[in-house]
Amino acid sequence: MPLQAPGIDREVRESVRDFLYRESLALDERRFRDWLAAFADDARYEIPVRVTREKLAEWELSPTSRIFDDTKETLEVRVRRLETDFAWSEQPPSRTRHFVTNILVDATDHPDEFLVRSNCLVYRSRGEETAPSIFSAQRRDLLRRDGGSWLIVHRWAALDQAVVNAHNMSIFI
Amino acid sequence: MSAADNSQGITPMLAEIREGIAQGRVPARIFNDQEIFDLERRKLFGKAWCFLAHESEIPRPGDYVTRSIADNSIIVARDEHGNICAHLNMCRHRGNMMCKSEMGNASHFRCSYHGWVYKNSGELVGVPYFKEGYDTRLDRKQWGLVEVRTESYAGLVFGTLDPQAPSLDEYLGGFQFYLDIYLKQGLGGSEVHGPPDHWVAETDWKICAENFSGDGYHTPVAHQFGFHLGYFPSSGATHSEGWAVHIPGKGHSIGLGHTPGMPPFFGYPDDLVEQMHESLSPQQLEVFSKTRTAVGSVFPNLSFLIQPFSLVPGEPGVRFCTMRLWHPLGPGRMEMWSWCLVPKGASDEYKEEAYKAYTLAFGQAGTFEQDDFENWTKVTRAAGGSLAQGLEFPYVMGLDRPPLEDWPGPGHAVSPYVTDTNFRNLWGTWADYLARED
Repeated sequence: MPLQAPGIDREVRESVRDFLYRESLALDERRFRDWLAAFADDARYEIPVRVTREKLAEWELSPTSRIFDDTKETLEVRVRRLETDFAWSEQPPSRTRHFVTNILVDATDHPDEFLVRSNCLVYRSRGEETAPSIFSAQRRDLLRRDGGSWLIVHRWAALDQAVVNAHNMSIFI
Repeated sequence: MSAADNSQGITPMLAEIREGIAQGRVPARIFNDQEIFDLERRKLFGKAWCFLAHESEIPRPGDYVTRSIADNSIIVARDEHGNICAHLNMCRHRGNMMCKSEMGNASHFRCSYHGWVYKNSGELVGVPYFKEGYDTRLDRKQWGLVEVRTESYAGLVFGTLDPQAPSLDEYLGGFQFYLDIYLKQGLGGSEVHGPPDHWVAETDWKICAENFSGDGYHTPVAHQFGFHLGYFPSSGATHSEGWAVHIPGKGHSIGLGHTPGMPPFFGYPDDLVEQMHESLSPQQLEVFSKTRTAVGSVFPNLSFLIQPFSLVPGEPGVRFCTMRLWHPLGPGRMEMWSWCLVPKGASDEYKEEAYKAYTLAFGQAGTFEQDDFENWTKVTRAAGGSLAQGLEFPYVMGLDRPPLEDWPGPGHAVSPYVTDTNFRNLWGTWADYLARED
């Protein structure tokens, strides 16, 4: 990727950035219904498994293994679960803070869809634990213009850790 | 027990533990205890057959993965002749780690410290300054990588650190009958869908191994959401139905949950069911055709689970199969390795569908998995408490229940599925290992 990319309309960039911040806020405020509404009906949400490999290996993000491999339908299952009283892993709930930076917006072949790269650091605190889980990820989102706002068509997030130091992933990146 | 008693060793306590287990009592402290962990490392993981890899993870010559038996890093490789071999991941010269990646392909391994080179079959073939430096004093044949004895069953490669260990066949002791539900799903057998995911948890490996030895009791509570929302084809009322089977004295066990009214082999595609009529024996078909959930453990720390998952309540849904290794890192701390096994002969569509069900239910973000680890970490923490040191847990469910006389498979089978019978055998075997003379 060249370091100097063709310019994207400033208004689009600001609108995308604002959208990602508001989306993060919805997650951190546990407004999972609002969050789910930001996904297109044909959406995909995936987090590949990272594998520690030698430098010349063809891949280090598994082409087949996923930590999350969801459609909007299965994200709905996850959200419905969180709405019950029996989602024990989030009872009491995790406190999360999503820090989203390095947002880059690129055009795609489709005038209403943009490829958005960002860095995402998620701080997750549970119960009385003093040591948080910290997830660092590169995100690649395909966003589709939807009237005055955006829909997530594809979220792809690659964690930087190969061995995740959390006993589960009951939060979203 | 006073400090003075501790210094004499843990043997007297083990005698008490063994007596208690026979009567249905297990001490809480075993789930978070440095002395117990030290004994396990030496007497259990140093002696048992431990899972290393699935053959489908290293299909081509040169493929390797790095795995562990307790605190020993092991390279599991397919050599240039196609044979699977395992070696300690440690250079014989000064002990540097040979392979630092989780997987790869290499005909040779070269140490990054002084450059000793080994074939992937373990022979030492390259020593820098061999003539100039060593004169004739280094016999390369004596300094190959340390070999770990391996044997396989239906694609599963096990290793043992004990040269005197009985054969794997003898070790499994008939449990192969039950493993086949996971490993012979159709004529092509099973394969991994991709690399496993792994993560660390402040949990003792034994809690998990016990759970997967057939703990049907926790399911309606710990995984209540699945019942509540209809993703799990069983109800609280029928959930205890089925069978619990173990191999006496070996520690392997399985819980076979049954949901009345479901068609045979529900949730598998028709072509696979057809193949299973050939890959399985009539006795296995009799058992497995009625099985909704099969959750089992190969002693000490390898487990499997097959269950159906349906996004549409009431429908059979899709079957997924997970294989998981509860790798001990320390007292009350472990690394979870989790694979999805798919039938090799199934369509790509089914493999994908089964994999997606696995990630939704039992990967590290799996909706069932999340709740298990939440509970297990809390059990572990409590077990480390000072008051817990003198406490025991009751393992008396099904204590006097006689085994089924007409059970078509090997082992000790009881009904219903919800019972502690398998666990008493698990803990009895575990304690036997710990009490053995070196």
